[in-house]
Amino acid sequence: MENLYIKEEKCTPEISLNLDGTISLVGRSYPENTLEFYKPMMEWLEKYFELPLSHKTIFNMEIIYFNSSSSKLFFDLFDLLEEYSNNNDIEINWIYDEENDNAEEAGEDFIEDFENLNINLIVKEELNCENE
Amino acid sequence: MDICKIQKLVQNHGIVFLSYSGYMSQSLITAMVESLEKEAEDNNLTIKDSHNIFTVFIELSQNIMSYSKTDKEDDDSNKPEGLIIITKDENSNYYIHSQNIVSLDDKNRINKTMDDIKSLTKDEIKKRYKELRKSGENTHTKGGGIGFYEIAKKCDGLEYEFTKLNKNKYYFYVKTTIITQKKDV
Repeated sequence: MENLYIKEEKCTPEISLNLDGTISLVGRSYPENTLEFYKPMMEWLEKYFELPLSHKTIFNMEIIYFNSSSSKLFFDLFDLLEEYSNNNDIEINWIYDEENDNAEEAGEDFIEDFENLNINLIVKEELNCENE
Repeated sequence: MDICKIQKLVQNHGIVFLSYSGYMSQSLITAMVESLEKEAEDNNLTIKDSHNIFTVFIELSQNIMSYSKTDKEDDDSNKPEGLIIITKDENSNYYIHSQNIVSLDDKNRINKTMDDIKSLTKDEIKKRYKELRKSGENTHTKGGGIGFYEIAKKCDGLEYEFTKLNKNKYYFYVKTTIITQKKDV
């Protein structure tokens, strides 16, 4: 099994799945076909969590905005993580810009729906050099 | 296409900022979202207002792309064509209008969803959205899924209208309003 990296596009996030347990999704999410786009990620995760893991898995999710089918997909992702969290140490960082109320609210909704998951809401530090 | 309706909406809602009519594809949607991002930046919209506009636009245009039907009475196949217009008034409030052809079945489904939305407060809409997302019903399926709840969550006004085209087909027109806050600079 190898790491999986999917480059950021205008309507899809950068996805970085690493066997050392660092996982990140960063960008916008409104693909034409959400299920199809995220299928490699979901399949990778299912295989990954079947491995004998001794380390913690950390998800950094920074999705600036997303469509309703991505919202459903993230729900399915958290559902999968909750299933594996019985036997694995999983932490999710839901990262958003201070002014991004929608992203904050989306994170709060996921926390409510997944009480057994360790989800942290994290306000992004002002390090937007790349946008300047 | 009802040109009078378009003229009327321009009169009522000021400047047409973006309009597109015809074949809808993901690459067009992405390009239009890019121009919306530019508009939001130039007009100093808050992140919240900007993202509300982007999300509503994406939902409506992806609806056109994925669910529009042909105008033929006896042919229910998809045809990704429609009309999407964004206007704004002198107070920088935005109006996103969309129109596409749906079947009678779609119309019934959409009516049911819209009736539900109309009966709910904003907080109840958010709650229903979460319930539907959890149940898995109405998601990844055709027509009137959680997409309209997503739109209702993110806009300040949601109106719609069906105009009969033939026995089995209707024009489905949606108008959404997004009231923006002026950011102090």
